[in-house]
Order: sequence, then structure tokens, then C-alpha cells
Amino acid sequence: MTRKRTVEDWIAVLSMALLCVITMGNVLVRYFSDQSFAWTEEISVFLLVVMTMAGAAAAAARDNHVRIEYFLERGSAGRRRFLALGGALVTTIFFLVLAALTADMVWDDYRYNETSSGLNVPRWWYTVWVPVLSLAIAFRAGQVWRHLIKTR
Amino acid sequence: MTGVLLFAIFLGLMLAGVPIGVALGLGGAIAIAVANTDAQHWGLLAVPQNFYASLAKYPLLALPMFVLVGAIFDRSGVAQRMVTFAIAVVGRGPGMLPLVAISVAMVLGGISGSGPANAAAVGGVMIGAMARAGYPPAFSASVIGAAAATDILIPPSIAFIVYSVMVPGASVPALFAAGMIPGVLAGLALAVPAILISRKHGFGQGEAEVPRPPFWKSLFEAMWGLAAPVLILGGMRMGWFTPTEAAVVAVFYGLFVGMVVHRTIRFGDLFDIFREAAELSAVIMLVLGLAGIFAYSVNTLGIADPIAAFIAGSGLGSFGAMVLVVVVLAIVGMFLDGVSIFLIFLPLLVPVAKAFAWDPVWFGVILTMMIAVGQFTPPLAVNLMVACRMAKVPMEATIPWVGWLVASFIGVTFLVILFPELALWLPRTLGY
Repeated sequence: MTRKRTVEDWIAVLSMALLCVITMGNVLVRYFSDQSFAWTEEISVFLLVVMTMAGAAAAAARDNHVRIEYFLERGSAGRRRFLALGGALVTTIFFLVLAALTADMVWDDYRYNETSSGLNVPRWWYTVWVPVLSLAIAFRAGQVWRHLIKTR
Repeated sequence: MTGVLLFAIFLGLMLAGVPIGVALGLGGAIAIAVANTDAQHWGLLAVPQNFYASLAKYPLLALPMFVLVGAIFDRSGVAQRMVTFAIAVVGRGPGMLPLVAISVAMVLGGISGSGPANAAAVGGVMIGAMARAGYPPAFSASVIGAAAATDILIPPSIAFIVYSVMVPGASVPALFAAGMIPGVLAGLALAVPAILISRKHGFGQGEAEVPRPPFWKSLFEAMWGLAAPVLILGGMRMGWFTPTEAAVVAVFYGLFVGMVVHRTIRFGDLFDIFREAAELSAVIMLVLGLAGIFAYSVNTLGIADPIAAFIAGSGLGSFGAMVLVVVVLAIVGMFLDGVSIFLIFLPLLVPVAKAFAWDPVWFGVILTMMIAVGQFTPPLAVNLMVACRMAKVPMEATIPWVGWLVASFIGVTFLVILFPELALWLPRTLGY
């Protein structure tokens, strides 16, 4: 587990830390001043999405995503290898497609000047990171695939 | 027809060992494309929209926060001190250490929201202690894996947060309150067979003569840990903070206890704690987001309603249908983790629950109890796996012991099915 810390690790950790600080800040501000920072909700949701996608890329790099391992761990070496390769390939392709589809969604946000409901900023500021991080997940799953191909 | 395709692709991919989230998302996306061949982009724009909408929900923030709480308290040194205190209370002798393990797991259940974190915290302290007292490692692992399963019933609970996000009409506070009594009953139900088995085989005779730790001193040292559930649950009850905020308060409290009071967490450990929690939550939430695509597909294809109508009209009746659900979940729970079960089955089960007018909170408690059972039923049992890894025994070795605990836990589930008030009385009394 002592692999080197990747960019995704840092993004996920910093998002998580920032989420803690913002939420705690909200509790303290409300306690001491009877005001609430409703606008932070939007930023928290954004950080939550970023943390999920970055953490998912980190998990893809370590091949840690939940799966049924029953058939992956049984049968001939050839079949296990086939399933492992297939899984990594399907994952890579799926996140490439998801990146393309979410990019389309972001393009709509941009084209139609969609604004966020809370802070009234352009919605694409938040959503543009989803296709970028989908590509990161695809890249990491692709790395696992390439690693499997090389180690025969 | 498309519905069959949806499930065939999903099941095929899942059994082939493709990550469950990808199997859900890909199955859903293909079904959407097949059903909308004449629409623009085959209707696939629903894919990113449902994915994003399933993730970008403020109430979901509680999930990573409670995962983080678990990761912090796991290392904060409170488990060790609670164990010492519990031994001071119940004493030693056959069956007492399993009782200690179960009680400590239940108190930790009032802090963390996930079973595996609980199993790791309790296992880290108890596996060694139980081995020294003469309990077989496989027995210890069974007890700890099962005891940690009470975690997702005793509030706070990640399972309840996911259920609440997916099911309208079941609020997080109501579910948290509803899980309390069934969770405590489940803990008691585990303690009975654990003590009887230990007595019968004379486990734990090895340390019956060792003196008890001093009561007041160990109580004083365990105070920091024991105060945490009071802070979290009391704070929510008093309306000081929302569930999400309670989790974050617990994060800072846990860091204070771990870094300043017990000094088991160093500054350099923080990155790894946060990384581990972020990655674990991301794995859960990615499945959640991708399951949004699957759920959209199931709903727009109209797959769930015919199944619900079939079950409603099958003459099984309300109780029979509930038994069917419990049996199916018991089987599925042997192979799938809890959150995935919710994500795959809730789109199908919610219409069934509606057809029989089952209370959504009560139904959530029963489903969560079955998921808890799945967490320690071999072959795929997340809690038991953690405990077995710590005890260095293969999971097969637990089979002679764990069956009794599974049976006892399912017994409590049937009590809650027969007497819904066990779940519903507390939330109603508290006014949720």
C-alpha cells in the first residue's frame, strides 16, 4: 500500500479536508452568530463530486473497485488473466464514453449559459471537472490493463 | 425484452469480475440506447445527467464524513481503553471476552457508520487478547465480524444514509432512531450464543485468574471514547447539528483525542487517514452515481412495477412477501456488499413496499438488518474478512461458529418483522 502519492490522491485528500473545514466552519458560525452560510452548500456538493471522481481514479490505479471476485480468483490462470484484462478494458472504455457524454453535458451548460442555483455562477465551472476526472479514471484503468498485458 | 437485456448485461459483467459500478452503468447505458434508437444520441444524454444528479446531493456528504470518522477512531486508541474498561465491568472467565468484544463494537457503532472500520478497530485489540485467553482464532474472528455488523444498525450508519437518499419518506434522523433498538437487540442476540459456546468448550479458562483492571482508573481512561457517541447522537437529538455536521464534529473530536489525548495519531499519519477514507468513500459513491443510470433505466423501462404487481398478486400476502424479500437478501448478501445491494435492489423493492404499504422506515431497518447479516455470512463478508485477516485464519475456518451467530441475528430480524414497533416506537417518540 505504500505506493507513491498520485495527483488524484492529493486532490481527493484536499477536497476531503476542505469539506471538513467548511462544514465545521458552518457549525461554528451558526453557533456564534445565528447566521448560516447556505451558499457553502453548493461548494460542498462540488467538492464531494471532485473527491468522488479523484478518489475513484486513485482506486482504479490500485485496482480497488468493488467487484465480485469469485470467478476472478478461480479457474485456470488463462481464464483469470482473460477476466482481469477484460475487466480493465471494459472499465477503460466505459469511462472514456462517460467522459464524452459528460463533456456533452458540460457543453450544453456552457452553450445555454446555465447558472448554478445557489451562487449564480456558470454551472460549467462545477461540471467541467467531471469529464476531466472521468478521463483520469479511464487513464488509470488503462494503466492497469497495460500492466497486465506486459506481465505475462 | 430490453429489460432482460439490461439484467443480462449487468449480471454477465458483474459475474465476470467487472467493477460493480461499471456493470451497473454500462448495463443501464446500453439499455437506454437500445430503447431509444430513434431519439437524438439514442437518449444517452440521460446517462451523464443521472450520474451527476445521483452524486451531487448534499445529504450524501454525510457518507464520506462518517467513513472518515471510522478511519480516525480506528486509530485513535479509544478501542483499547474501552476494552479495558469493559473487562473491569464484566470481569474475566469463559464467555466474558466475547461479551466485551460485542459491547465495545456496539459502543463504537455509536461513533462510526461502517462495519469494516468497526471490525478493524475491535479486531486490532481483541484478536490478540482472545488468543492469549485461549479462544480459537476462528471463533474470535466470527464473534468480531458479527459484532461489527451491529454498527450499521446502531446510529450513525452509512447504510441508512444511502437508503434515505434513495427512498423518499425515510429521513436520516428517523432511520437512525429506528435502528437503535434493533441494533441493541442484535448485539444481545449475538452475545447469547457467543457466551454459551465459550462455556460449553471452556474457552477463556486461560485467564480466569488474571485480576480485573481497576474500575475507576479504566473508566477515567475510557471517558474520551465513551463520550463520543453521546456527543454525536446527543448533538443530533438536541438539534445542535445535522447528521453531516455531527460527523464532522466527530472528525475533529476524534483527531483531538487521537493526536492530543492518546497520542496514537501523528501529524504525518493524517494524509494516509484522509486518503484511505477518501478512496473508500469514492469507491462507494462511484457505485452510487453509476447506479443512478441503472435505476433510471429500470424505471423508464417499467421493469419494477410488473414485478411488484406480480408479487402483490401472488397470494403470498404481506408477511409472505416480506419473508421472500428476506430470503432473497440473505442469499444475495452472501455475494454482494451492502451498499451495492441497496443500489441494485431498491429500484425493484420500493414498488413492492408501496404495494403492501410497508412503512419505509421499518422496511429500511429490515433491509439493513439483512445487509448486516450479509456482512458476516461467508463467502463474501466484508466484516468477517477484516476479522479473519487480523486473526490470520481462512474464512472457511469460521463456519462451525459463525452459523449460530447468523441464525441468532436473523431471529432478531424476524422479531422486528413481527413487531414493527421495535423499530418505529423510538423515532415516533422522538418526534421524527
